[in-house]
Amino acid sequence: MSNDVMIYANDLSKSFGSFRALDKINFEVKRGEIVGFLGPNGAGKSTTMRILTCFISPTSGTARVNGHDVFDAPLQVRESLGYLPQRAPLYLEMSVLEYLRFAAELRHLPADTFRKRAKSVVEVCGLAQVLGREIRHLSHGYRQRVGLAQALIHDPPILILDEPTSDLDPNEKAEFLDYLKQIGQERTVMLSTHNLAEVEASCARAIIVSSGRIVADGPLDEIRAKSGRVRYVVSVQESPGTASYRGRGEPPKKSEVETALGAVGGVKKLGDLPTDERAHAFELVSDREVDLRPDVFRLAADKGWVLLELHRDAQTLEDVFRSLTIGDERRNRHVGPESDAGDDEQDGAGDDDADESPRGASRDRHEKTASDRS
Amino acid sequence: MRNIWIIARRDLRAQFNSPVAYVVIGGTLFLVGVLVFLIPHVGNAFMGNFWELDRATMDQMFLYLPPLMCLFVVPAVTMRAIAAEKGSGTLELLITMPVRDSDVILGKFFACLAVVLILLAATLLYPIAMFVWPWHLGPLDWPTVWAGYLGCLLFSSAAVAVGMMLSSLTESDVIAFFMTSATLSILYAIGWMASIIPGGLGDVVEFLSFQTRYQSFARGLIDTRAVIYFLSIATVCILVSFRSLESRKWS
Repeated sequence: MSNDVMIYANDLSKSFGSFRALDKINFEVKRGEIVGFLGPNGAGKSTTMRILTCFISPTSGTARVNGHDVFDAPLQVRESLGYLPQRAPLYLEMSVLEYLRFAAELRHLPADTFRKRAKSVVEVCGLAQVLGREIRHLSHGYRQRVGLAQALIHDPPILILDEPTSDLDPNEKAEFLDYLKQIGQERTVMLSTHNLAEVEASCARAIIVSSGRIVADGPLDEIRAKSGRVRYVVSVQESPGTASYRGRGEPPKKSEVETALGAVGGVKKLGDLPTDERAHAFELVSDREVDLRPDVFRLAADKGWVLLELHRDAQTLEDVFRSLTIGDERRNRHVGPESDAGDDEQDGAGDDDADESPRGASRDRHEKTASDRS
Repeated sequence: MRNIWIIARRDLRAQFNSPVAYVVIGGTLFLVGVLVFLIPHVGNAFMGNFWELDRATMDQMFLYLPPLMCLFVVPAVTMRAIAAEKGSGTLELLITMPVRDSDVILGKFFACLAVVLILLAATLLYPIAMFVWPWHLGPLDWPTVWAGYLGCLLFSSAAVAVGMMLSSLTESDVIAFFMTSATLSILYAIGWMASIIPGGLGDVVEFLSFQTRYQSFARGLIDTRAVIYFLSIATVCILVSFRSLESRKWS
């Protein structure tokens, strides 16, 4: 079985001066796995990938890639992997074809193998139109595709991709993720990202790192289950507007609905959701094992309320991610200068901010839950 | 070996893809031409131009080439070698290919040296034009010229290695340019000061100076001490840049 382990990291640590970028990271990736490497900026994703590609050495611990130790056999390690660094740094003055040929030459690909591989790689990465163009004239999306093509040119058993989709447009992203699934069947792929939707779309397994430590590792469902809470949204009609009221008697008052819902067994927490004046909306949180929906339906039917909405949200990966890593984020914001120690990850800050806005609400919720529990 | 060649070829092509190599070669040819043929004898600063000297010799060319190399040829050629790759991140992609760090350093060294060699080859135009075709101004002592070129070659190997080393220590090509220019100029110019510094210090300065080492070649003398001196400088600087590239792993 052991030769099925393609990437093996044991107690990997890396310090930059007094800053501990990685703190005893342990994980294994098997053949055919697509692993999403997640974490906030500066968590140590790029550092880990750089160690695995032998660009930097760990301060302590061991790592093996395809059975080769990163200390003892860096050349064999690099031969067995394709690597796309963050932001796809390419030689701007070369044309796409020149660049691919350069990469193939350094990997000692014979000319006819190169022609065959180049053909398929160009097709897969959609580069046919730009083959003769200089890379400096290409958009970031295309540069990223060239970077990916370069990583695939020698048909490696292992792919390590550092934020491969950060500059792609949504269509390209979807295409790329599809392709990743396709090639990931007999290959090992490790990709870092902070876009969680991508992980959900393409990876069966995720490793979440935060402040240099692994905070979660496993299949997505398991990680989701880890937080162990489920959220329900219930809304009950408050006023029918111009239409006639279809419920029994008068529409209920807000306090009436609130107390009734709070009395339902299994409700851990009840929250008010903002709505217009036509409905009362509440958010219920329960343990995972109990399903509240039948009880809520029963309650509404017995009272004769008009139930406008009732649904259950399994906690999204995003929520899990936030709850696992939010402590560090907050610490970073307070300490300030400390955060620039992870400078290699700072570039991505812009993308992250964009991701963050729709999650503002959910963060508040978490803070509330945290204080509730304590 | 093969990786060194592939990297050197790519770097050389990159040099000629940017205007730098053309400006450096063209500019140097032009400046050498002006200095050798047009600038007249003025006080002690200039030894008199080609016509004033009135001898079949290329001494003036070999006098002016090294200072020009120190001031801007070598700094311009080597400034981007490692510094720019570090700055733009392309180094990461290059190093994570299955290549040794030493392949990268040597490949870049030979690429830079090749640009300088192309420049040196281009300066052959002057002796050829004056003494072979279209003009025959007299019997040129070719062995002296070849000795001069050997001196230039050894001199520029050392200078390129110094430039590479300084380029590997920084991430900015501008800083690399000025550091290299200053370092090489000082190494060259201390030769003039050697005579006015008294005692042992003067000897040390004379020992270190590129200029005193180079001068014997310009006179047609192949001095083994100078050969070893330049090759040692080149080797040490290449080793230092190799270590400096490797140090990224541990920082």
